[in-house]
Amino acid sequence: MTVTEHERAFITSTLSESRINLEIESDGMTLNLGPQHPATHGTLRIIVKLDGEQIVACEPTMGYMHRGYEKLCEFRTFPQVTTLVNRIDWLSHFANEVPFILAAEQLMGVEAPPRAQYIRTVFFEMARLGNITLFLGEMGLQLGAMTALFYAFRDREHVLNLLEAVTGGRFHPNFDRIGGLKDDLPKGWIDETKAVMKKIRGFCDQMETLVMGNEIFQTRTRGIGVIPKDVALGYGLSGANARASGVDLDLRRDNPDIAMAWKHADFKVWTHPDGDSFARYWVRLQEVRESTHIIEQLLDGIPAGPIMAKVPRIIKVPAGEAYVQTENPLGWMGYYVVSKGDLGPFRVKIRTASFNNVSVLPWVAKGLYVPDIVTVLASLYFILGDIDR
Amino acid sequence: MSSADTGTEVTEEAPAVDERRDAIVAAVAARLGDAVVGSHVEPGVDVWVRVTRDGWAEAAQAVHDLGFTFFDFLSAIDWYPNIHGKNEEPPTNPITVPATSAELEHGVTGGETRFQLIARVFSPEQKLGVHLRCDLPDDDLSAPTWSRIYPGADWNEREVCEMFGIDFPGHPNLVHLYLPGGFEGHPLRKDFPLLARHVKPWPGLVDVEAMPGEPDDDAEAEGSEAE
Amino acid sequence: MGLVEKGKVPKPLSYLFNLSRKYSLWVYQWGLACCAIEMAAALGSPRYDVMRLGVIPLPASPRQADMVIVSGTVTDKLAPALKRLYEQMPEPKYVISMGSCANCGGPYWDSYSVTKGVDQIIPVDVYVPGCPPRPEALLEGIVLLQQRIGKEDMAERWRGEPIVVG
Repeated sequence: MTVTEHERAFITSTLSESRINLEIESDGMTLNLGPQHPATHGTLRIIVKLDGEQIVACEPTMGYMHRGYEKLCEFRTFPQVTTLVNRIDWLSHFANEVPFILAAEQLMGVEAPPRAQYIRTVFFEMARLGNITLFLGEMGLQLGAMTALFYAFRDREHVLNLLEAVTGGRFHPNFDRIGGLKDDLPKGWIDETKAVMKKIRGFCDQMETLVMGNEIFQTRTRGIGVIPKDVALGYGLSGANARASGVDLDLRRDNPDIAMAWKHADFKVWTHPDGDSFARYWVRLQEVRESTHIIEQLLDGIPAGPIMAKVPRIIKVPAGEAYVQTENPLGWMGYYVVSKGDLGPFRVKIRTASFNNVSVLPWVAKGLYVPDIVTVLASLYFILGDIDR
Repeated sequence: MSSADTGTEVTEEAPAVDERRDAIVAAVAARLGDAVVGSHVEPGVDVWVRVTRDGWAEAAQAVHDLGFTFFDFLSAIDWYPNIHGKNEEPPTNPITVPATSAELEHGVTGGETRFQLIARVFSPEQKLGVHLRCDLPDDDLSAPTWSRIYPGADWNEREVCEMFGIDFPGHPNLVHLYLPGGFEGHPLRKDFPLLARHVKPWPGLVDVEAMPGEPDDDAEAEGSEAE
Repeated sequence: MGLVEKGKVPKPLSYLFNLSRKYSLWVYQWGLACCAIEMAAALGSPRYDVMRLGVIPLPASPRQADMVIVSGTVTDKLAPALKRLYEQMPEPKYVISMGSCANCGGPYWDSYSVTKGVDQIIPVDVYVPGCPPRPEALLEGIVLLQQRIGKEDMAERWRGEPIVVG
């Protein structure tokens, strides 16, 4: 029965003498998660309005890592932009530069030689390995299993070693150039990579039994944060988040014109019909395995040849507009490059995956409990630099 | 389709006519009629369609019904020239903005105004994307909102509003997304200066002293007024 | 004991205090951006294990921390939170600024929303350069800080005199 405020106040004042408790309906509580919080992967602040333990409304506040990339790109030359852009999604370092360089090459009409394309793709997939192995361990950490994180860091070091052997940097290698790559592979690298791929597959098997097979993990993630297919499309969810909702989209397979070597490898695109947090973890685990197979196939078939096309020393990209998107570890990353024939770009619009992935959070969080929001956040897997640019 | 063997200048062996993309332009034009004012198809690569500002929301509905259900991005472009220095050049001083937008060069599909909205949607079935653009008149920087048709446009429009100052009537919650509360100005407009560059155009240039024994010319490489 | 307030700490006692302080630092990690991953690799990974230096990575709250490592870009929106966090830590506290973004703004030196260096907000003891610095570089920074703590005079610090790098 509905009672007005006035009536309620009257009733409580009379009832207080007769020692009957009337539950006063109060406004829900507002809880603030972040910006410094172990569960938020960085400086994301989420304001949730609660009704008891259930979430009524949820609003993320971003901008704590907003560095002004799009403005900064207008002030830099093309090679300088590639070093800056490396740091948007800081876990998949190499993979951030690739769409931008492909867009610049498309405007210039230059294509990297085949060997460079193969090596670029191999590094792209290794960036994916470095990124998603951390996710596999870290989602365990968010849900309370700390051991998984240590295993992830230990096995990730092997991939970073490989990257360091070629480029000299574990992180932010700055190895890609417009027209090709900076250097060639050292001797013996290919055999070592294949050995490391076996180790990564062993790590995946460990995670499968340790984390995915864990009963607590399954109870906490199955059926939580279900995102149906049309909602995923409307918000622009991409990458593993979309594939876990049944959307069969993978730009590595669906974009055969791109100047990379995925078309030379045979791989399967994994989807899952459920759309819950467990599905997202499952899809990413299978993707890591698939990436190791892609790397092995590409390294078996790598052609000989130059690694840099003939480009002038001072790079001036002719006027035009180009948009190139790739299947980055977090989702779809695209650069809309507008050039006016200058030393640097005129306008760069950076379409990042996590921006769209996190925009679904207010929709998903309605009706969840407070611990579940940590599960959903962990399974959506964003990087703050990717959201805030 | 277009991969070649050697790595020097490669001409794309794309077909001269791209039927699928031309069909998209035709379908959109059929639904919107006069609202379509320009289009550009780059064969084998991409397709752009320019609509009027009043037809912006109908264009969203049209492409949504044509199967483009995946929302990619929505942003804006300011076509004033880059009047600040790049690389090691000092910025131009004073900061002035051209009086009219008559002499601006626009990109593909043309345009007449300073600000243009650009959006992109993708079709999961056809695996193709289409860009939509519209001009915004200089005296009335606003456009109908897309957030009812594509929920992902919500945050993108908030970002465009704070970065460019473009209004979206009908948007549920047009508050700042990235910038702190008291921020003044719209950063992505071309007349918004980066003040650090006015103090020091390039960190390596300042504090350059002559070698001992050489005359000290232009010892103060400090930029103009520090603001 | 009152010795510190009076200003007279005998040398062997000072040595003992400093020794025990420098080998039991509790680090509050303010991990913001890319440097946070390298910091996590230094602090948590079995390869660059930082616990062997006596540094323990996971205090429950800033009020139980001795040291804060600011790793990553600090934006103007985040700066008040960082200041508040620093004020919550009890004395004696130390700050390590890790990475070029925290040192001086780094690659975003001309951005409109980045604080050009965390030392504009809080006093910094050790700067670790790099973009991002290797975990070994961070360990070197911690070792340098430990050497500084070893030479510190608690009475001077209590009186609030400026810290002289020796």
